[in-house]
This record gives sequence, C-alpha cells and structure tokens, in this order.
Amino acid sequence: MRARTSLYSNPKPCKHLSDYKLRYGTTPFENLHEFIKAGLNGRARIEGIEVPRCSSCNGYRGRLYMCLICSAVSCLNHLGLHTQSGDRHDIAVDVERAELYCCSCGDQVYDSEFDGIVVSERVRDLPEDKNGGFEGVEERTSKRRKLKLDPGIEDDPKKARTMMSLGDHKEKSCYPSGLRGLNNLGFTCFMNSVLQALLRAPPLSNFLIDRHNHDKYRNKSGKNPCLLCEIGTVFHAMHSTDHTPYSPARMLYSWWRHTPSLASFGEKDAHEFFISVLNGIHDFSDKGQERNDSEDKGNCQCIARKAFSGLLRSDVMCITCGFTSTTDEPCFDISLDMPTSNLSFKGVTNKSVEPNERTCSSTLFGCLEMYTRPERMGSDQNFHCQNCRGTSGSLKQMSIKRLPLVLCLHIKRFSQCLSRRIILKNGQYLQFPFSLDMTAYLSSSTVRNRFGNRIFAFKCLNSDSSVAYEIFAVVCHSGILQTGHYVTYLRVKDQWYKCDDPWINEVDEETVRASQTYMLFYVQRRLVINFQRVSTRIASAVKQSSKG
Amino acid sequence: MFGQSQTSLLLFGLCLKLSSHFFEDLLDSIIVDVASECHRIARLGLDHNLDEEEEELRLSAEARARVADPSYSGETNGKYVVDIFGQTHPSVANEIFECMNCGRSVMAGKFAPHLEKCMGKGRKARLKMTRSSTAAQSRHSRGSPVPAYSPYSNSTSTNRLANGSVGAGEPYSNGTSEEP
Repeated sequence: MRARTSLYSNPKPCKHLSDYKLRYGTTPFENLHEFIKAGLNGRARIEGIEVPRCSSCNGYRGRLYMCLICSAVSCLNHLGLHTQSGDRHDIAVDVERAELYCCSCGDQVYDSEFDGIVVSERVRDLPEDKNGGFEGVEERTSKRRKLKLDPGIEDDPKKARTMMSLGDHKEKSCYPSGLRGLNNLGFTCFMNSVLQALLRAPPLSNFLIDRHNHDKYRNKSGKNPCLLCEIGTVFHAMHSTDHTPYSPARMLYSWWRHTPSLASFGEKDAHEFFISVLNGIHDFSDKGQERNDSEDKGNCQCIARKAFSGLLRSDVMCITCGFTSTTDEPCFDISLDMPTSNLSFKGVTNKSVEPNERTCSSTLFGCLEMYTRPERMGSDQNFHCQNCRGTSGSLKQMSIKRLPLVLCLHIKRFSQCLSRRIILKNGQYLQFPFSLDMTAYLSSSTVRNRFGNRIFAFKCLNSDSSVAYEIFAVVCHSGILQTGHYVTYLRVKDQWYKCDDPWINEVDEETVRASQTYMLFYVQRRLVINFQRVSTRIASAVKQSSKG
Repeated sequence: MFGQSQTSLLLFGLCLKLSSHFFEDLLDSIIVDVASECHRIARLGLDHNLDEEEEELRLSAEARARVADPSYSGETNGKYVVDIFGQTHPSVANEIFECMNCGRSVMAGKFAPHLEKCMGKGRKARLKMTRSSTAAQSRHSRGSPVPAYSPYSNSTSTNRLANGSVGAGEPYSNGTSEEP
C-alpha cells in the first residue's frame, strides 16, 4: 500500500497493530503526546514518567518498553510475560526511541498517525516552500519540450526511407550524428572537452536544432559576440556530413571577447570554461540582445537556465532551539569536495598501507553524502539565532531543492596550497555510477531525515519526482596541472566514444568506469529515451537545409 | 584492616568496573539506535536503490580490475592509428584558416597564441573589469552561483587550474548583484 508521498511506502501494519487501532483508535497516541520529547537530531523519547523500571524484575538496563494499554513497563526479557498475562496487550512503545513495538510479532512496527504526533511539535518550524510558483513553470516547460521531441518520422514514410538510404550509402554514417573531432588550437583541450559534453546535452541540442534556420545566428562583427550563436555554429558543424576535425576558432575568439579575464594563451580549467559559457548564454537571451541581469532574475528562461539550473538549499539550524533559516540559490552545477586521503593506515603487520590500496575508496555517493551532511559551524562564526538569541552554534546543511534537467557534477580535484602557492591535484580514483538516483540528496530527504524519517507529509516535499539520471558525458583530466590534458567520453546509445581533440574512437565501458573523472554530466532518465530520435531529427534537418 | 594502598586499589577496581558498566550500557544503547534507524529505513522502503548502488560499485570494481590488467586492449592511450572515420591526425592541427581579428592566414594548432598577440591579450594587457561587491567572495558558496561566476570562496584554499602561474585567472564577475 503506497502512501501519498512517493518517497516512501506506508508499510502494511501487522494484524496486532491494526487490531489495536480498531479497538482504541489514536487516543492512546494523543494521550502519550505530552510525554514525547523530540530532539533536534530526529530522535524522540518518552519522558516525564519516573525512571522506568521493568515491572517484573525492576531492571533499568537495556531496552524498556511501555505497554500502550496499561502503561506497564517491561524489559525485553519480560515483555513476553506481560503479553501473556494481559488480555491482548501486544503493542508497546520503546521508551528511549519512541518507536512502536509489537510484542507478538517481536518486531518494531510503524504507524503514520503515531509518527505524525511525534513530529507535530517540531513541524511548525519548517520552512515554507517559497518556490512553488517557479516549480510549476518548470514543469510546464519540460512537458512542452517532451512533446516537441516526437519528430513524427513515423508519420512521414518518405522521410523514413531517406534515413535508411543515408545509412546504406556511407558505411561511416552508421556512427551517430554529431560525432566529430575538434582541433586543438593551442592548449584548448579544456574548451574542446567541454564543448563535446555540452553539445550532447539533450535539452540544449533540441534547442539548437530549432535554431538552425534562425537569422540571428550569423554573427555580426563589432557587436558583442553572442556565445549562444557561436555554440549553435559549432553544433551544426558537428552534425554536418564532413568528418574532418572542426576548428572552433570563432568560438575561442568570441569567448575571449566575452570573458577578457580568461582570454590568454595557455591551459585553463575546463570547469571554469563551462560556467563561463553558461553565464555567457544566460547574459544574452534568445532575442540576441544583452539583457540587464537585475531584472528577470528569477524568471529567466534562457536555455542555459532551463537545461542546467537547479536550486541549492542551505539550512542553518540553531543548536539551542532548532530554528532553521533557509536560503535558496540557483546553480548551474554542483562542485563536490573529494574526501581527503592523506591518511595512511597501519595494517596488521604494522606497515603503512598506500592510500590506493586501502579498503575505503572514494565514491560519488560518498562525495554527495558529504556535501549534504549537517556540518557543525565553528564558534568563530559569530552565530546569533534570531529566534532564541542563542550563540551556542549552528548546524549547516546543504541539499538540493530542485534538480536540473542536466546535472553537472564537478569534482574538486584541484586545491591550492596557500603557503607555497602551488596548485595540487588529487588524482585519486572516484567511483561513479552510470545510473544515478538523487533522492537522498533532495531537500525533502534531508528534512525528513532531520525528523527521524517519520512518516509525515511534509509541506516542502518536492512534487517533481524525476530523480533518476543517466550519465551521458564524462570529462577527464590526466597529468599534472600545467601540462595536463582533457578528454571527453561520450555515451551514445550505450556505446562510449572517446573524444580526444581531433580523435574520435570507440572505447569500452570499462575504460570509462576506470577513468579519473573531473566533470560528470547526467541527464534525467526520462529524456534519454527520446535521445535516439533527436539524432535522426538533426540529420534530417541538416539534410533538408543542405538541399534547399 | 586494609592498608591504604590496598584500599586505593580496591576503589580503583570498583571505579573501573562501574565505568565499564556504564560504558557498556551506553554502547548498547547507541547500537540499538542505529539498528532501529536502519530498520525504519528498510521498512519504509527508503533504501530501495541499495541494490542498484551495489551493482554500480561492483561494475566499477570489475572495470578497474580489467583495465589494470596488462593484457587489456580496450584503450591504447592515445596511440590510435585511425579514428572511427578512418582518419589520422597530426599532433599539431594543420588546417589553415583566416583569423577573424586581423584577416591573416593562421594554422589551427597555432591559432591561440596568434590570437593572443593579435588581440593584445595576455598577462600584459588586461581590460578593465567591474568587480561585484565583496558579497561574492565572502559568501561561502558551494555551488556555482548564477549569474555572476565566482570561483571557490577564498576562505577555502582552492583555486583554478591556471596558466602555469597561480593567479593568472582572476575572478570574473559581470558586475551584477547577487540573488536575494
């Protein structure tokens, strides 16, 4: 039996529990209410009665259960005695944890109404969902996009035949459209690697197909360069029938004009380029005009925002009173710290074990978990709770309020050693999945966890349940900083391709899994099914334009 | 009856016994806490992707083992003879095209250094840029904020991959105000 909330299932009660509820309803729970003390860490306990002792043996150690019919307390050893003696006294509550226990089944049981009472005290402090309006807009947009994805090739048998004949003529066109090498223009592999991944993002590629016949995509010199138009140019070059590597010279030129601070010859950070390009697209709306950023801030619907933008939530909770202040901030990606691996372990033989060989290797889940973990803020933060004026400190916790269509995860491998102004790279392997479920990192999950995972329909639950992602591109960095090299692995219909500047080659899935990743690109799974059709649509659009 | 040292020993022994007594109680309680939480998570189906996660971990471990094997031939580490289209490429791209800034013919692989000189860029020539307020830097932001880009907050010791020298890539901002 599934509850309203899609995040968890309301477990089916055992017959003893349902029996109990039929007989007594929720009155005993409500009577217990005043004795339930919910802590700030999600734990709850029964308090207010004298020191609980087992009525049979007077023991106070171990788990103690209070019968929910006669309030008799028993320890685990004598719980059976109580059940047999009384007349159907089988439901009890764990005094230290406020969890229901069925003595006949001998197991912990769960009830949504009981849980509701446990959290009801604290739930008043929950943040209101401020962004309900925006979420609604986003859902509409994605629905619209989904409809667009259906190209109607089945409706046009002539088109379908054209597709098939294309396939027959050139043996090389059995490769998916859009695969093309990019020439390195002089330490520009950082740009090439990001372009390869970016142009593969389904929402962006859909958008660029439709812009194909757009007039404004011819760049006028002298005006401020439109990065979106430049990307469109590269996109269509990638999907042309010419397989020789393309030189994204105009792209570099336009980017340098747009971002003067990064305009210099030499290797750059691929992530920096990625963010810079997305900001560039954001600055120039579809109309090709430069937009004043201070207006439309929350309502921007540029493709960069639509495809990549998510909402990160930061909760700061006062340790003293539990009052939580919440800030939401849009983001194009999530930068994840890697676990510090400067530890060396001494094994049984008392020899140091190399970090690479130790049992706990770092995983993407570990990084995400670290990112969303509640963090105690140091006492130097000068925290003043606005509710209780306490200064004991606070707990800060990050979570994802709204997931983007395309999720870019950036692994912070580079760090600066301040003392010697040297940039260090953490080259440790990071395990990552091809299929990613982001449920545990949503704001709804962290909130739920803060309340001990009690069954309760929290107001701020995400209505959008698209948490399943599939990976489609990986940007990897090898070598040390100054002389390092970037490559991109692209996944097209379950075949992986390595894009190493002008070289496009097929690789095994294992190579990708074992690689040292720097940026991971995931897309919502519901968009992947349509991806296959996008490629055929592009090929058809390009063929159409080259004819007429 | 007992000497002073013997009494102290007795007391000491008693303290040890008491403290281990309490410690055991505490430890038991913590263990049951964890068990109770896991039981709840499992019963409510909150860990429904555990199997998938384990499967991914297994696949990654297998992949690493296979790749580390010397007989693995899945990737030749850049020593490819041809790409999927049957082409080969020189180490420096030799396509010739016209520079869009000065009109001269440039070779692709040397385009970036040419453009740097041709546009008057590089470390010597920096355009004036507007910096946003210190709000962008003092805030400990973990994601990349939109629209103004700022690198990792200066309070953490991280920086960008730079042009061979630290600090060459300065934080760039559009001069916009931050999100409310």
